[in-house]
Amino acid sequence: MATKFTKMAYDKADDMLFGHSKKPVSYGLGIKVGAGRVIPELNYAPRPGTEKSIERITKEYVDYISKDAITRAVTLGFPDLQLETEWISQMGTVKGMGASIVAGQKAITEKFHDEYGINLAVRHTIPDQREAEHGLRPGMDKKFAYPEKFFECCEVACENGADVLSVESVGGKEFADYAVTHGDITAFLFGVGYLGSIDMENVWTEMVNIAKKNKVVAGGDTNCSGANVSMFMAGGLLDNDVQRTFSAVTRAMAAARTIVAEECGATGPDKDCGYEGPIVKSITGMPAAQEGKNCQCAHADIQGNLMAQVCDVWSNESVEYHPEFGGTSVQCWLGPLGYECSLMNTAIATGQAKILRDLYMTSDRTRGPEGYILAYDNAWRIGKAIADNGNDYYLRSRAAGIEAAKIIREGYDKKELLLTKKQLDVLDKIIVELEALPDDTDKFYDYCVKKYKDEVPTFNPKSYGF
Amino acid sequence: MFDTSKLDYSFILRRYDVEAENQDTPEAIAEKMLPKDPVLREVASVVLYMKFKEVAPVVNNALKTVAPLDIINKGLVAGMEIVSVLYANHVYYLPEIMMAAKVMEVGIAIAEKQIPGGRTTKGKVVMHAAEGDPHDIGKNIAAVMMRSSGYTVVDLGKDVAVDDVVACVEQEKPFLVTGTALMTTTMSAFPRIAKILQAKGITIPFMAAGGAVNRDYAESFDLGIYSEKAPQTPLIAEKILAGYDWAKIREEWDNIVGGN
Repeated sequence: MATKFTKMAYDKADDMLFGHSKKPVSYGLGIKVGAGRVIPELNYAPRPGTEKSIERITKEYVDYISKDAITRAVTLGFPDLQLETEWISQMGTVKGMGASIVAGQKAITEKFHDEYGINLAVRHTIPDQREAEHGLRPGMDKKFAYPEKFFECCEVACENGADVLSVESVGGKEFADYAVTHGDITAFLFGVGYLGSIDMENVWTEMVNIAKKNKVVAGGDTNCSGANVSMFMAGGLLDNDVQRTFSAVTRAMAAARTIVAEECGATGPDKDCGYEGPIVKSITGMPAAQEGKNCQCAHADIQGNLMAQVCDVWSNESVEYHPEFGGTSVQCWLGPLGYECSLMNTAIATGQAKILRDLYMTSDRTRGPEGYILAYDNAWRIGKAIADNGNDYYLRSRAAGIEAAKIIREGYDKKELLLTKKQLDVLDKIIVELEALPDDTDKFYDYCVKKYKDEVPTFNPKSYGF
Repeated sequence: MFDTSKLDYSFILRRYDVEAENQDTPEAIAEKMLPKDPVLREVASVVLYMKFKEVAPVVNNALKTVAPLDIINKGLVAGMEIVSVLYANHVYYLPEIMMAAKVMEVGIAIAEKQIPGGRTTKGKVVMHAAEGDPHDIGKNIAAVMMRSSGYTVVDLGKDVAVDDVVACVEQEKPFLVTGTALMTTTMSAFPRIAKILQAKGITIPFMAAGGAVNRDYAESFDLGIYSEKAPQTPLIAEKILAGYDWAKIREEWDNIVGGN
């Protein structure tokens, strides 16, 4: 049973700062996150075709990717490095592949730690490959046997040397996909805010058990499959498949869901691609992994500086392994990542951290509505709305959405944040729609089941215990 | 937090989205494009303005005086073509495309029941997301755009095994097969599919797309062609129907996706 957050970890927004969290975590080979220093986290993807055998893919991850990255970290004088391996699907389906890679990465981090004293850790993020049409809970999926296989992968990772265990869970995705493509904020609230939270409680209770049993850190989650899809489709300034005001509100709602991992016993650092991190951190006080300007190898976003404002781990999201002029891709992208951490840590060491935090935040504050609500002062307000309604998954996600929408409206009204007419129209409709929803969770559930009966045919109430 | 109340943000950044905002209304653009015939105009309008509840009565009423095929092509599809123009001009966005397409499909389903033997579409395409890959939102959007452009879509869903894709292509005999992938290690299923298809004597283009896929990869194996974004799919399909094979699609790719 999750213990819900009903109070803020931070009394005021100004107390939030990069490199510092209320509840620091230590693990791996000397890594301490949230304890006064920002840690770089490097993520990567193997080249296509290398998955053809256990030997070849292990070589790709260990002898090429990990070795190249750690060597470059030592070459550039970085004191810390966290690697993140987001498991490819074959690591769970080909017997022995996952264990071989996890053990190989553990061994090479130990070798470099022993030789140079560099602080190292490896986060293993297990792919959540459940599909709504097959059912999300144990015993439902007769075709692929998820989530049973997923939990087996968690065990393999923990037993063979993972330092941090994470996931990008997909509960509620059937509604999130519909919501994002149809601009339907109620569907997002139902899928991600309500059903996604219920699903996370199930997933994370078991993940925390597995992690604890193996003395591994249960890191955290992200709403990559919902709010990130929304953000990516809102895109850059000339894209707009999805309105950025819509995307911003989905981000706030997602925060109410992402904290469920911590409510189930995860300790952070949560997942880098969870742009809801500043909101989550304001509530939980646990270390936040974030990404922004140094993840342009994976995708562009319009809050690249701002996302560093209160991070504890700073990530590149992911880069495919390949040669570049300056070395291999993991080396080339680790360089700016590590130097950015060095800048943040210099600011901390010289007492200038809050100034740098505010420079990061201000540079992107008005680049778009999503950055605006994630600016740490506004993120804290959304966190407060969640904590004030913390006992109810639906009500707290709805409160987060309304608060975010009103923050954007305030910013527009006081001429700080510019919006197109379309962005404003969508925003105003969201406020009206969310405020008109029932205050009773059961009534909301009944309303949504009826409303989306034909629109989201893959919804199976049994996946969420109904 | 330091004081930003006097800060001129335009010194730091430019909001090109606000500066480039299209001030045209859907009504103003559509007015020049809607059918002149009042019955067909009403049919096109329910699609254009996404009037889901009105499409059935409007189409049923039109069937009293207009041939079902004309209702489809000169009413419902014409309405969707205006939606595409609004989308291209940043007046409409993805949600409008999805909802208008849904209205159009409901209308087509009603009208085509009145066509003996059913309606003939432009052609059939088989679409899937790669084995091991649960990400299919891009494929779903492309499928809507293909249906809206008058094609029959056989949607195999996500995490589809190589053999299942091949079997479906053999059975359905499409003019195009597509695969999407968000992961570098799932997209390697695409050349395997293409190789098996070739061994069976099937040489239709295999369109590779999705977050992990780039043009170099898509064109690294025989049959492979690339689509960067969902709206490019019908543009490329049109050329295949016009006789372009996968090699010519590659040669002309920039022109094709540029709308030429």
